[in-house]
Amino acid sequence: MIRFLLLVSMLALWAGGAPAQPLLDWTAEEIRTVRQHGPWPPPPARDPSNRVSGTPAGIALGEHLFNDPRLSGDGRMSCATCHQAGREWSDGLAKGKGAVDLDRRTPSLWNIGYLHWFGWDGAGDSLWAQSIRPLLDPREMNGGAARPGELLRSDRALACGYEKAFGEKPGPDDERLLVDTAKALAAFQATLVSPRTPFDDFRDALVAGDRERAARYPLAAQRGLKLFIGEANCNLCHLGPRFTNGEFGDIGIPFFVRPGEVDPGRLGGLARLAASPFNLLGKYNDDATGASTRRTRHVQRQHSNFGEFRVPGLRQVGRGGPYMHNGSVPTLEDVVKHYSEVSPDRLHSDGTPLVRPLGLTTEQSADLVAFLRSLDADPPPAPAPAPKSLCP
Amino acid sequence: MRLAAALLGLCLATPAWADCPLDLGRGMGWVVYSDHYLMAFRSDPARIEVGEPFALVLNVCTKSGAPAELLAVDAQMPDHRHFMNYRASIKSNGDGRFRAEGMLFHMPGRWEITFDVRAGEESERLTHDIILK
Repeated sequence: MIRFLLLVSMLALWAGGAPAQPLLDWTAEEIRTVRQHGPWPPPPARDPSNRVSGTPAGIALGEHLFNDPRLSGDGRMSCATCHQAGREWSDGLAKGKGAVDLDRRTPSLWNIGYLHWFGWDGAGDSLWAQSIRPLLDPREMNGGAARPGELLRSDRALACGYEKAFGEKPGPDDERLLVDTAKALAAFQATLVSPRTPFDDFRDALVAGDRERAARYPLAAQRGLKLFIGEANCNLCHLGPRFTNGEFGDIGIPFFVRPGEVDPGRLGGLARLAASPFNLLGKYNDDATGASTRRTRHVQRQHSNFGEFRVPGLRQVGRGGPYMHNGSVPTLEDVVKHYSEVSPDRLHSDGTPLVRPLGLTTEQSADLVAFLRSLDADPPPAPAPAPKSLCP
Repeated sequence: MRLAAALLGLCLATPAWADCPLDLGRGMGWVVYSDHYLMAFRSDPARIEVGEPFALVLNVCTKSGAPAELLAVDAQMPDHRHFMNYRASIKSNGDGRFRAEGMLFHMPGRWEITFDVRAGEESERLTHDIILK
């Protein structure tokens, strides 16, 4: 009899995949909210300010340049040194290491093509403008503004790739070639879209009313999701399919980088944005309609921007870390603990605080972590290495 | 229905307001009014999405029929006491119609939109709440 029951159980498992668990009760309002976190993947990102965005030749050139250490001052560091495919397009370190040790964590590049502000402080208003910064920054790649032009003109394969992407041979204007290099880099980075996850399967099943398929989502993750969109209000900022509103917030992370020195976050980022010759209001924006400049034209610098940092998306969050802009929180469990115990005194909120100590129980914390880990999935098979030559 | 009846009554009782065009071209939108001003507006695009820029198309009228000026449009979340991260710019069409460009609501919840209007020396602030889900 026992053997028979075992056999029946195994057959049920074999036929239906994971064993069905109870499905929690989901209200129509909750289902509507869960629905907003999809569908996934979204349509490919296109940037009208970048004329090679989404073009095969631009992407191919960008991938070559992304892996080329000759863009750095000492010829030893490429974009891929810090943004490693095997480390969720980051480096796994608390703080980045460029030519010198840096003060902020290397952000992941997953889904970066869908953002509107770039960098932890949003100093970049396009992915291509943001890609210029590490090339020039003496603390990072320290390549110098003339380096991309020299490389594109002198390397036959890159010169050919440039001509295929931009429709002309690399010219003498170094600044133009610096920008075009960044635009090709951006075209490649915009292809880095994270994979579908167990959450996406649950979301789709729940929205479709497929209770059986939805019930395959672990109960702990279901409870954590209910917390996320309910009592904990995480989705006020971590909203939409990418789980971010793309804006900035102060969640009580200390902003001292060393005694006597602070990281002003968004406040400093907006100052750098306004001063940059490469922002979308400048001459290098390829968008003739002007629509891409709306955020840049209207963004306002406010005192409250001090200590604010970009709200990161949460897809693949459990595979990344350390966490926060300065890598000061080691694990996902610690992130949840931070929100559970954050000091309201540090947040200086006048009204109903957006971030408040959640006071989670041990079980609630574990549920929230289980939900967050359901936003992870194995990345797609490593993309085929870039062809050795950009031109036949 | 009650609002429509009230507005109809209001317009009939105030001849200058009867000429105030409330239809902004899409057959939808909101109307706010005070003792002195009547204003119709709609968003462009019609559906406001969290985190996406939008514009407001507005028509501002006065009870006296005098031309009105739209000085500023802003929005805040009263519950959290924060404003938008963006400052709207206003363009006048010269016929009482305006376009406020560069609005962006970065969170779901209740947003209070404020409209600073002026006719001659008299200025006033009108407000309207929108719940964004």
